[in-house]
Amino acid sequence: MFERFTNEARAAVVRAQEEARRLHHQVIGTEHLLLAILETGEGAGAQALRARGVDAADLRRRIVGIVDPPGDDLDSAALATLGIDLEEVRRVTEASFGPGALDARGRKPTRPGHIPFSKRAKKVLELSLREAVRLGHNHIGTGHVLLGLIREGEGLAPLVLTDAGVDLATLREDVTRLLSSEAA
Amino acid sequence: MSDGVQLAQEASSRDPAIGLRAVRALRELAERLEALQVGNARDQGWSWQEIAICLGVSRQAVHKKHGGSRRILGKER
Repeated sequence: MFERFTNEARAAVVRAQEEARRLHHQVIGTEHLLLAILETGEGAGAQALRARGVDAADLRRRIVGIVDPPGDDLDSAALATLGIDLEEVRRVTEASFGPGALDARGRKPTRPGHIPFSKRAKKVLELSLREAVRLGHNHIGTGHVLLGLIREGEGLAPLVLTDAGVDLATLREDVTRLLSSEAA
Repeated sequence: MSDGVQLAQEASSRDPAIGLRAVRALRELAERLEALQVGNARDQGWSWQEIAICLGVSRQAVHKKHGGSRRILGKER
């Protein structure tokens, strides 16, 4: 389904996986797509978000605050906010002391390598195609993916954007305007 | 600037909920590592005094904290 994606939009999809991994999340959700759009290149998506004052660090904090309520176990998401990669700490301690060396009790299985997209994130990617078709564009850029996020409307992405004080209807107009001027 | 450094600067900023949670996570991680290293040192025949010096605490403190659980595990008399 990525044939019509621009290089930038492809890079954003890859980046979404990196964002999920960095936060030690098990699936790629709309929130990771949103971060990726903001952090990838100078496409309509990133431009529109920046123009509304959206900040990646602020978004990450909001996401971690919602997704990862602190528990009793080692808090990989909180450690990640300090730049500490818990999986790496685990790896080096297990290399010296054997499997489970760092565990107090049971340990959550972590998923190495490939992280799957959530159903909603997949839906967003489909909707980005529909948005491109609707606007008469034959390519899908980060702006179309952002429109897809807004259209889907139910994921964590629109929630954190709204929390951050962004009006989605206005953002939608901004992106559409940028895309039209790009296409002209 | 690496992503890690950037994240650290982001997270050590002003939101107490995130900052305090990070401190808690760090403390829990340090506790786990300490238990692991103290156990390893005892297994290798280090005295409580030697371990205490390396950790920068008193012998009584380190023995009180780790001696009990090692006795329960049958690793100390």
